[in-house]
Amino acid sequence: MRKTCLALAAVALLAGCATPPPAPGSAASKVVTMGQLDDIEIGQMRVARENGYLTVNVALTNSSRSNQTLFYRFAWLGSDGFPVADEESWKALPLYGKQAKFLPAIAPTPAARDFRLEVHTR
Amino acid sequence: MFARLSLAALAIALVSGCSTPSPVLGGKNISYGDSKAVELVTNEFGSTDLQMIAESMTRSLAQSGVLHGRPVVQVYDVKNKTSEYIDTREITTSIKTQLMKSGAARFASDNTDMQSQVDQLKLQNQSGLYKKKTVAKTGNMIAAKYRLEGSISSIVKRSSDYKDVFYKFSLQLIDVESGLAEWMDEKEIRKTTER
Repeated sequence: MRKTCLALAAVALLAGCATPPPAPGSAASKVVTMGQLDDIEIGQMRVARENGYLTVNVALTNSSRSNQTLFYRFAWLGSDGFPVADEESWKALPLYGKQAKFLPAIAPTPAARDFRLEVHTR
Repeated sequence: MFARLSLAALAIALVSGCSTPSPVLGGKNISYGDSKAVELVTNEFGSTDLQMIAESMTRSLAQSGVLHGRPVVQVYDVKNKTSEYIDTREITTSIKTQLMKSGAARFASDNTDMQSQVDQLKLQNQSGLYKKKTVAKTGNMIAAKYRLEGSISSIVKRSSDYKDVFYKFSLQLIDVESGLAEWMDEKEIRKTTER
């Protein structure tokens, strides 16, 4: 009985700790966080097609009082999920303390159907 | 004695047989880095600035819808109005390459390529060295519908504590026939060094 209780407690603890994977197609599923991303929250994403090119606008918020620099780049994917363009260069985006900002991006080719946002802070 | 020598020989043979040959030759302090990394070595114009400018300008132009039907564009060198030496040809080459890859435009021979183009046409048509049916005919070059030209300028401020550099890159697409600027964009970059 004691063993069963312990096993149940362990299962409950594990289930509580495990982060559920983001739903496919959700904003969270598009973000690849490299290392720690403390204090910067990635919010809603607006995806549209303008003049044949995929355009993205990402809402960012610096939740801390201090200034932060976000390093980011987009990877543009085709309908098969593979990249349709060369790797982008990493870019730095400064965010003041408590600032909310939008990060716009345009795909390099009309062949882009989807994207990934790689983010990093140091 | 013989047994020891045999053992040593066996050990050497085993070691050389097991070790995987490395494709790296020398260079303890040398390594390849990420060419796309954010470069913050100094606050002079750097690789990240070049990549950011080319990327931002190309995408803005391609997505604007002005380049409808893959028009022919002639690219002029970017004017360097900064106090630094900047190889502005590399900026135009990157913009040209990225527009070409996106399939948004075609490019006429620019002022640097033109001499080679004319020389090759003259050689084919005037030297009598080539088979007639393989010779490129003169008078068939495609004229540009648009010209693309830009400039980069900078404002540098120094104090005992700071060095601040502000770059402004402007690019415009002009209709050759009408002389009208059909598209224009600019990219601003600020780099500050705290001493």
